[in-house]
Amino acid sequence: MTNATPAPRKKRFWSMERKQSAAGWAFLLPATLLIVLFSFWPMFQAFLTSFKRGLPTALQYSDPLYRNYAYMLKDKVFIQSVKNTFTYLIIQVPIMLVLAIIFATLLNNRDLKFRGLFRTCIFLPCATGLVAYSMIFRTLFTYDGMVNALLMKMGVISEAINWLNDPFYAKVVIILGLIWRWTGYNMVFYLSAMQGIEYSIYEAARIDGANQVQQLFKITIPLLKPIILVTAIMSTNGTLQLFDESVNLTRGGPANMTITMSHYIYNTMFTKNPNFGYAAAMSFVILVMVAVLAAIQMKVGDKR
Amino acid sequence: MKKIVSLILALALVMACSLALAAEDGKITIWTWDPNFNIKAMQVAKEMYQKDHPDVEIVIEEVLSEDVETRVITAASAGDISNLPDIMLCQDNSIQKFVLNYPEVYAEITGKYDFTDFAEGKLAYSVVDGKNYGIPFDAGTVVGTYRTDYLAEAGYTIDDLTDIDWDRFIEIGKDVKAKTGRPMLSGQAGAIDTVLIMMQSCGASMFNEDGSVNFVNNEACKKVLEYYKTMVQEGIFIEVNTWDEYCGTLSNASVVGTVNGCWILGTIMGVQDQAGKWALTNMPSMPGIEGATNYSNNGGSSWVFTNGTDLDLALDFMGMYRNVDFYNEILPSTSAIGTWAHAKEGSNYQAGNDFYNGDAIFAKIVEYTSHVPSNTTGAYYYDAREALGTALTNYINGGDLASELQTAEDTVNFAMGF
Amino acid sequence: MREGAISKHVSRFFMYAFLVIVSFISVFPLYWAFISSCNNTQQILGGRMIPSTHLMENLRNLFAQQDVLTALKNSFATTLLQVVLSLAISSIAGYGFEIYHDKWKDRVMSVLMLAMMVPFVAVLVPLFQLFSKMGLLNTWVAFFLPSLATPFLIMYFRNSARTFPKDTIEAARIDGLNEFQIFVRMFVPMMKPTYAAAATITFMNAWNSYLWPKVIMQTSNATTMPMLVSNLMGGYVIDYGVVMAGVTICSLPTVIIFFCLQKSFTNAVAGAVK
Repeated sequence: MTNATPAPRKKRFWSMERKQSAAGWAFLLPATLLIVLFSFWPMFQAFLTSFKRGLPTALQYSDPLYRNYAYMLKDKVFIQSVKNTFTYLIIQVPIMLVLAIIFATLLNNRDLKFRGLFRTCIFLPCATGLVAYSMIFRTLFTYDGMVNALLMKMGVISEAINWLNDPFYAKVVIILGLIWRWTGYNMVFYLSAMQGIEYSIYEAARIDGANQVQQLFKITIPLLKPIILVTAIMSTNGTLQLFDESVNLTRGGPANMTITMSHYIYNTMFTKNPNFGYAAAMSFVILVMVAVLAAIQMKVGDKR
Repeated sequence: MKKIVSLILALALVMACSLALAAEDGKITIWTWDPNFNIKAMQVAKEMYQKDHPDVEIVIEEVLSEDVETRVITAASAGDISNLPDIMLCQDNSIQKFVLNYPEVYAEITGKYDFTDFAEGKLAYSVVDGKNYGIPFDAGTVVGTYRTDYLAEAGYTIDDLTDIDWDRFIEIGKDVKAKTGRPMLSGQAGAIDTVLIMMQSCGASMFNEDGSVNFVNNEACKKVLEYYKTMVQEGIFIEVNTWDEYCGTLSNASVVGTVNGCWILGTIMGVQDQAGKWALTNMPSMPGIEGATNYSNNGGSSWVFTNGTDLDLALDFMGMYRNVDFYNEILPSTSAIGTWAHAKEGSNYQAGNDFYNGDAIFAKIVEYTSHVPSNTTGAYYYDAREALGTALTNYINGGDLASELQTAEDTVNFAMGF
Repeated sequence: MREGAISKHVSRFFMYAFLVIVSFISVFPLYWAFISSCNNTQQILGGRMIPSTHLMENLRNLFAQQDVLTALKNSFATTLLQVVLSLAISSIAGYGFEIYHDKWKDRVMSVLMLAMMVPFVAVLVPLFQLFSKMGLLNTWVAFFLPSLATPFLIMYFRNSARTFPKDTIEAARIDGLNEFQIFVRMFVPMMKPTYAAAATITFMNAWNSYLWPKVIMQTSNATTMPMLVSNLMGGYVIDYGVVMAGVTICSLPTVIIFFCLQKSFTNAVAGAVK
C-alpha cells in the first residue's frame, strides 16, 4: 500500500504541509494585526517620546538624546520605586503561586465536600471591586483596627503596629493585599489545567502507594508546568507593572516608601507637572526588565 | 450576512462621527463632579438661566476631578481637543499647572467677564501671567470648628479659640487633652493639608514670586513644621492614615474639632445627632511671623473654558455666578459657599444655622474669605507638595528639619531643572 | 490500619479547617461591602460588621444620583462583546501558534509577547490619538478593541493546545475535515474548561477595566459601572452607604459569572471520568 503511486502522494503531501502552514498563518493573523495596531504602534510612538522633552504638546528631541534615561539614575524616587517593586516581586510572587497550587490541589480532590463553595470563596477576591478592597484593607489595618486588636489578643504583638504608616509594615500590607487578591486568580488556571489530567493517573499512583505530597510533585506539577510558566511570567509582569495596590492602599506612602514604578510613571504624567518623555523612558526600562525576566523564566521552564 | 455586518459597522461609524461633531449653536456642555455639590449648583444655574434663554441647551456631565484632568491631558497631547466641553471645573491648585502646560486648551477670559468683588485670594489661583483663565466657584476658606460640649468640659468657650495664635492653641489643647482625653485636631499623615493651611495663613507659599521653590529660607515654613510636630508629639493633633479615618474621627467625635476648608461642614452637619454641639470660628495665627492672619484656604475650585468653543455664550451663562439669588438658592441644598462678596447678602446666608445653634455661619465664612492671603501655586505645585510631605514625614520620625527641607528643595529643583 | 484511619480523619479535619479559614478570609471584604450597603456612613466608618436597615435608602439615593441602568447596560454590552470576540481571536491564534508552529511562527510569538510588557499608562496617549483619528470616541468598539487580542490569552491557549493530541488532528484530517473545522469541531469542545477559565478571567478584566474607558468614554451615556462607582467617591462629602451599594451592584455580575462558569470546570471532570 505505502509504496503504491509514490509520485502523486509526495506532491500531495507537500501541498498539504503548505496548506497547513498557511492555515496556521491565517489563524494567527487577526490577533497579530490587532496587537501590531493597538500595542506596537503606540509603543513605537512612546519609544520616540522617550527621547523628547518640553511642554506636553510641543515635545522636542532632547540633547543629548539619552537625557531622560540618564536622569533616572539620579532620580531618588525612581530608584526607590524600583527597589519597592522588586521587593514585592521577590516576596509575593513565589508565595502566591505556591498557595495557588496548594488550593487547586485540595479543590481538585473529588471526595472533597463543598468544593464548589470553597472554590467560589477563594476566587471571590478578584471579583471584588477596587473600592471595596482598598477600603476594607485600610479599615482592617488602621491603628485601632481589627488586625491589631486580633494580634494583641493572641499575644503576637504587645503594642499596636501603625501598619499603613510604617515603611516596613506598609509593604507588608501591600504584599498581603496582593496575595489575597490574586491567589484565587492563579488558582483558576491551575484548576482548569488539572481538569485535563486523567483522574485515573492519580488512582493508579494511589494504588502504588504514593501519598498526596508525592502525587503533587510527581504528577501534578510536571503536567502543569506549561501553565505554571504562564502564570509565573504573568505574575512577574503584573507585579512589575503594579499600580492599583500602590495607589489605593498606601498612595505610595509613607514618604514614597511603597510607591511602585507604574505608580510613579502615572504621577509623572498625570499628577505632577507633566513630563511625558521621562514617563515614556521609565516605561521602556520596565519593558526591558520584564523582557529579561520573562526570557530567564522561559529558559528555565520551557524545554520543549 | 457580510453585507449586514458591514452595514452595521458603517452605521456605527456614521453615528459615532455625527455624535462627535454635534456641537450645534446654543449648546453648552459642562464637565463637573459631585452630584450633591458642583453638579447641583450647575443645575440650579441652568434652570435659572433657561428661564430667560429657553432655547439654549445645557448639558451637565458628571466627570470626576481626576478624570477631567486625565481627559484634558490625553486630548491635548493627542492634539484633538474637539471633544472637550465648553466649561470644566478645575481644582484651584491645578489651574496654573494646566494652563502653563496646555495653553492651547484654555480660553483666556480677561476683560470678558466682570471679576470685581470676587475674593482676591481666591481669584489669584486662576490668574496666570496677569491673565484670567477661570471664574471662581466655591470657597475653601478655612474655619476652626469645635465641639462646645468638650470645650466646656475643660472650661473653655468658642471665644477662647477666636482670634488666637498657635501658642495659645497648644496651651488650650494640652489642657483639653488632660481634662477630656481628646486631641483637639486630626489629619491624614503624609497629606500636608494642615501644614499648607498654616503656611497660607502667614501669606507664605512654597514658591517665590519668580516661581522658584522656597523651602530652605522660608521662615514661615520652618515654623509651621515645628508647630505641627509639637502638636503631634503632645497628642493635640492625631495623625490618621486615610481620608475615611479622618472623617471617622469627626463623625464619631473622637476629636474636639478640626481646622479645614469650609466644605468639611458638609461632613460635620451630616451627622444629625450632633446638631447643636458645634461652634465655628476662625483659625489660630502663627506667632512671630509678619503678616500672619487668622485666615487661610484649602481646596475649592474654579470654572475654566475650552478654546474654540462659543465663549460668549458660556460667559453669558456664567453671569449666574454674579447673582445673589443663585448663591442664595444653592446654599441650603449644597452648602457651597460663593467667593463673590455679595453672595452673603442672600437671605439664606444671613439666616441662622440650626446645626450651629442659630449662628449665621455662612455669612461669617464669606467674611473670612475676604481676608484670606493669596498664595503662589505654579506648575510645580504638586511636585513641591509631595516633596514637602516626604520632608514632614521624615522630620516627624526624627529627621533634621534643615536637611529635610534642603532635600525637599533639591527634589523640586531637580524636577524643575529637567 | 485503625491508626491510619484516625490520622486520615485528623488530616481531613485540618484540611477542612484550613479551607474554611482561607474561604473566610477571602470572602470577608465582599461580605463587608454587602452588609455595608445596608448601613449608613457613620456605621460604616465606625466599623459595624452586621447589616442595619439602610439598604433601601442607599439604593434609592444611588439610583437618584446615578444612571445605574445605563452603566449596567454599557458594562454588560462591552464586556460580553469583549469576552466572545477576544476568546475567539485569541484562542484560534494560540492554537495556530502551537499546532502549526515553525521557526517563523515561534519568532512572531516571541515578538507579540513584548506587547504585554509595557505599562498601559505609557501607551495611553498614542492610543487615544489613534482612536480619536478613527472617530471611535464614545463607542463600544473603542472600549474593547485594544484588548481583543492579548498576548496573555494567546500564550494561555497556546500552552493549553500542547495537551491537544496530535493523532486527533491526524484522524480528523483523514476524515476530511479542513483545518478550520478541526479547530471548531475538535479543539473547542475538548477545551471547555480552558475556555471557561479564560472567559471568567476576561470577563473580570473587562468588567473592571477603568483607566481606558474613563479616557475614551467621554459622555455620560457611555459611563460604565466602575466609573459610576468611582464617581460616588468624588465629592467633599462621601456617602459610604451609597458607595457600598454601588460596589455591591458592580461586584454581583462577576460573582454570578464565576458561579455559572465553574460548572464548566466541573462538567469537564465528569466528562473525563465517564
